[in-house]
Formats: sequence, C-alpha cells, structure tokens
Amino acid sequence: MQRQLREADRALQRELRAFFENEIPERLKSGYIKDGEVVPDLLREAQRLLDDADLAAPHWPVEWGGRGWDELQLHIYRSEMQRARVPMPLAFNTSMVGPVIAAFGSPELKERFLPKTKSCEIWWSQGFSEPDAGSDLASLRTTAVRDGDEYVVNGQKTWTTLGQYGDWIFTLVRTDPKAAKPQQGISFLLIDMRSEGLTVRPIKLIDGGHEVNEVFFDDVRVPAEQLVGEENKGWDYAKFLLGNERTSAAPVGSIKAALAEAKKQAELKRSTSGTALDEPLLAARFAQLEAEIMALELTVLRVAGDSRDGRPDPASSILKLRGSQLQQEVFELMVDVAGGEALTWHTGTWGSDTMPRYLNYRKASIYSGSNEVQRNIISGGILGLKG
Amino acid sequence: MDFTPTEEQKALVGAVRDLAKHLTPKDEGRGAPTGPQPFDAEGWAALAEMGLLGLPFDEEKGGFGASAVEVALAASELGAARVALPYADAMAAAAALAAAGHDLLGDVVSGEALVLTAFNQTDTAWMPDWPSRVASTDGRVVRLSGSALGSTDLLQVAAVVTTAMDGDELGVYLVRSPAVDGAAVTFDDADAIHLGGREVLDASLAMGNVALGGEALGAMGAALRLTTEYLKTRKQFGVPIMRFQTLTQRAADMYVGVELTRSAVLFAAMTLADAAALPCAEVADTISRMRYLVGTYGRQVGQEAIQLHGGIGMTAEYAVGHHTSRLAAIERTFGDTRSHLARLASDVANHGSVDVV
Repeated sequence: MQRQLREADRALQRELRAFFENEIPERLKSGYIKDGEVVPDLLREAQRLLDDADLAAPHWPVEWGGRGWDELQLHIYRSEMQRARVPMPLAFNTSMVGPVIAAFGSPELKERFLPKTKSCEIWWSQGFSEPDAGSDLASLRTTAVRDGDEYVVNGQKTWTTLGQYGDWIFTLVRTDPKAAKPQQGISFLLIDMRSEGLTVRPIKLIDGGHEVNEVFFDDVRVPAEQLVGEENKGWDYAKFLLGNERTSAAPVGSIKAALAEAKKQAELKRSTSGTALDEPLLAARFAQLEAEIMALELTVLRVAGDSRDGRPDPASSILKLRGSQLQQEVFELMVDVAGGEALTWHTGTWGSDTMPRYLNYRKASIYSGSNEVQRNIISGGILGLKG
Repeated sequence: MDFTPTEEQKALVGAVRDLAKHLTPKDEGRGAPTGPQPFDAEGWAALAEMGLLGLPFDEEKGGFGASAVEVALAASELGAARVALPYADAMAAAAALAAAGHDLLGDVVSGEALVLTAFNQTDTAWMPDWPSRVASTDGRVVRLSGSALGSTDLLQVAAVVTTAMDGDELGVYLVRSPAVDGAAVTFDDADAIHLGGREVLDASLAMGNVALGGEALGAMGAALRLTTEYLKTRKQFGVPIMRFQTLTQRAADMYVGVELTRSAVLFAAMTLADAAALPCAEVADTISRMRYLVGTYGRQVGQEAIQLHGGIGMTAEYAVGHHTSRLAAIERTFGDTRSHLARLASDVANHGSVDVV
C-alpha cells in the first residue's frame, strides 16, 4: 500500500494537466453549455482537438487509437479533463458504441466508423430504452425483419439524449421474437438517422430544456452489413457496453470542480457571518461533501488499481450509485448557495442556472441503470442475495 | 496510489485473524458480556507476543518498523472478531511515547507496561488541547492536578498519557501509577513527565484514530457479513427473507457504506504512514474526514444490521448487536463525528478542493 502515485503516473498527470489547461481554448470550456443546453458545434470542436492529440478515446484498443493505459491512468486522464472543465468526448461515441464496434464489429464496420466516431465527425445517439422497456430493457419491442440485404425496422425508442443532433443511432432491436428468452432475440444495429421513415420528436423536461427525444422507426430500411457482430447476440454486446459504462460512471473530477465552484460563489455572497461560507451549517455541508467525494474518489482509485490484473473489483458497482448521488447533492447545494438568485432562470448570472441544473440532474440516479437497479446488482451479484 | 496489500501485510492479516478468533468474547450461556469490559491481561499478552503493540514504531525505539497501515489492518481483524481489548487507545498512548522518544515505549511494546490515554473530562466537550488539568513545573519536578477520563478501564495501567495546561502552554504528560477508579483518574499533585506539546498530542490522536478506523471497518464488514448470511437463511412467509427487496436494497447500501469506509480508512493509514512527507494539516484533515465517514457509515451499518436481523439482532447471544454497540463507542472516542466535522468546516475556506492524487 502506497499513498503516492508512481513517478510515471505523476508525469502523465502533469502532462495532461498542462495540455487540458493550455491547449483547449477557454471559449470551449465555458461555452459548450449555454443556458443548460449543450452547444453541439463547440462539443464537436473540442473533441476534434482532443482527437488530434490522441486524447479522445485513450481506452480504445491501441490499433484504433487507444493509448494502452491502465485503469488508474484512465482515471487520471478523466479527472484532469474534468478538473480543467474540458468538454468530455461524447459518451455515446467513445464510451458506448466505439468500444462495441471495436470489439465485435466486422473489419468493414471498424474502418468505416471508428475514426469518425473518435473525432465526432459522426455524432452517435443511443437507441436502447423504449416506452415499455426501461429498467427491464430486455422487454424491448422495436423489430428488425430481414428482407434480402436489408433489415426493416419498426418501433419506437425514447430518452434519446441529444438525438436532435445525432447523425447515426446504435439500436437494440428484436430480430427473433420467438426466442426462448427475451434476451436471446435481440440484435445490435447501426442506423443512419437521415433514413426515410425515421422521425425524431423532442421531449421537453422539467428544466425547460430539450435534451431527450423520442425516435420513431416506420419501415426504416437498414443495410444488413450495419449489424454489429452476430444476429441475436445484441444483448451480450449491450451488457459489454453497460459494463464499460459502470467503471467510468463516477464523474469525480466534475463533481469536485462543481463543488469548488459552489464554494467560490458562496464566498461572494455576503451574509451576517461575513460570507455565506462563514455560516456554520453551510460550511459543514461543504465539509461533508468534501469527505464523501474523497471517499468516492479513493474508491475509484482503489478499484482502478485492483483491476490492473484484469478483473474488475466488485466495488466498482458502487461508483455509479454513489457518483450520481453526490453529483445531485452538489447541484442541490449550488441552489442553496444561490438562494434567491435561483428563483429566476437563465438570466446570465451564475445563480440563475442553478435551479434548472438541479432539476435536470435528478436524471442521474435514473439513467444508466437506476440506482435501485445498481443496488440489485450489488445485493444479487456481490452479496449473493437472490430475490 | 496503490491499495494492494503487500505479501507481508497479507501474512499479518492472516496471523491476526487466527489470533483474534481465540480472543472473541465467549458466550456465557445467555450471550457474550455486554458493554465496556474489564481489561483482559491474558489477551493483551497475546497481542504483545504477536508484536502488534509495536507495529508502527522505529526499531531503534523498540518498535517493529512497520507503519500505520499495518496498525489499521491489524485493528480491522480485531474489530471483526469483536476483540474487547483497548488496542486503539494503547496505540495512541504508545504513539505519544514514540513521538517524545520516551524509553517506556520498550516496555509497552513487550506488553510489560500497559499505558493508556486519559484525554476526556466529565465536564467538558471533547477538547484535549484545552483541559482544566494544570501542570506546574519547579525545576525538574512536574506536578499535575485535576481529573481525567480514559476511554476504557484503567485499573491495570502502569501509566497514563494525558494533557494539562502549564500556564498558557498545552502539554502532554505521562503519569506513572496514577490514582484510578475504573476509567476515571485523579491527579493530586501527581508526579508527571512532560512528553511534549501539541505535536505529540497530534501524533497520539492520529495513530489512535487510524487504529479506531481500522477496528470500525472490521466491525462494519463483520456486521454486513452476518446480515447477508441471515437474510439468506432466515425464513418468513415461507421464503428466505432475501426475497424481499426492501431488505436487499438496504443491504446494498450497507455494502456501499463499508466500501467507502474501507477506502477512507486505508487512505488515512497510508497518509499517516507518509506523514513525514506531508503537511501536518493534511494528515489531520484526512484523519478527520475518515472519522466523519467512519461515524456516518458506522452508524448506518450498525443500525441497519440490527434492523435487518429483527429481534435476534437485539440479543446478547447473537454477535451482530455487539458490533453496533462497539461502533457506537468508537464514534465517541478521540472526538466524535460532530467535532471532526466542525474542525473540517472551520477550514473549508482555505482550499478549493480536496485532492488525493
């Protein structure tokens, strides 16, 4: 057991910190979210800059532009990027569909999609959830029926985040409705969002923003070579995708940066005790969250270090659960700090963004497997409590 | 940063686990004894024989040249086995002797001399650095007056480590053969030895808190294990109660609490082991954060362990409630959760964020 980073990891940290601080322009860092919504061109531009430096997808296989870093080094990479407020590469591209294509796609699919996925020349959307398939994803009903060299897709996806900007969508579709188990009849299909019969409709959320969408498929014809891997093996690929997501699911760097920002703002608010940060109960709340975030970050590091032998540490299951909780608590604290300023929305002041952001991030404990599902994974998979 | 135990650390854990099994309180027909226990000299000798009392101290001072990490690992095994020996307290006292370079440390490490702390006071909140006890120095003679409370039975101590004010000056003192009554000790112009000032107190509490954190971690892990086993075997309504998600969701949260605590305790131990290379405040802050987390999650895990067991968790003949009892005591030893949080809160304006790498 050793507190300090190894020298090589420290050097990497210094190098990345310098790059993220100096080479990514401030207008991208402070501009890529405007009034609570992503500005797609700026996000694309940032990802292109990262890709030019081979920093868009370091976790990918080396032959497709990965860096061969271990989990600890990847953690350093993510946290330094978040610390510098650099827009993260689009998760749908680099964390979700990219690794699936790299692991299971045909050589043609890899050539065709991986470089453009990494640079964000293609903007991917995710087509997993359906109106009747949320936590119970395997009950999805969107069908793909083989017709010659094509699949014909019919059905509906929902909660498609940033789907209004999507060029392509990776979907789970039912190719064998007669399979013995619902999980066995599902395939992983890549669909051009400009296809005829594909419609995107916005869903407005409680923060007033347009972040998620419904996507409808009405006899959408998809070339069969856009199937990833084998037909009816899509559930395995989806599990692989969601497993990848879990180990990187605690955005510790962002949470820390947000808490530090909240603290700075609290010091700018005058109060009877001096500044708001001098108020004992608010100061205690900061101290609590700093301790909790420390415990989470240490757990991320512990899990990262333990997986150096290849097997993920079971404690990785808690990262999404705790990461989403702390993210929500920090955004809630921001509203407390903003106080009366939070009652007006998006007027250009710091405090006026806090309430819609707080409302928006209630999503964090629901998406990527709700926290109740995460607890089921822990109780069933780790504690052996079979329901 | 690396949380992987070395081969030596794994061997230590295995050895302490085997020893601890023999030191688990025995069932006396209607269950194990409850609450604070009298000092068990035989058990103490076994800890000494294994070398646990000298783990973190330099060899030239009579220790075994390991570190606070080994203390936390050993304490965790003792906590898991419900060993009712004042290991954390003795490590705090020994760390004061080590920081002062006092040669009584050799006898402490060998188990010949039991030295414990007495930092509490009945009429004050936790503030060992501002005691009502008074020291007066006359040439080489130091005398102490006032009273103190230890955290455990002091009847067999050879000496206690306590604090007193000499004028405006905080001092840490060693008093041999003190006048004790249970956990209480009275100093009536008692002969004392000055061990040092605040730095000695900090060193003492840091080691004591790391040991306490380890013990709590062991107790929490054991409480979780007992709870999951119980959920698998206990039947109600014709099925094992693990079929009820309202219980398993809460067991999952207990697991989260245990694992977050594990990270914090091991990190605090690594931080103390590396203290020479770090600013003092960083060591103390890290330990306070750890104690805050141990307090918060120890309370959650201890309370939930009983609740998920139901009535059996309340009985003295079943182990789980004893863990809860001990966790509640740990939370009030060497400062409580609130005092550690208050310390941290008073300092939040002095840094942007808390960085661990």
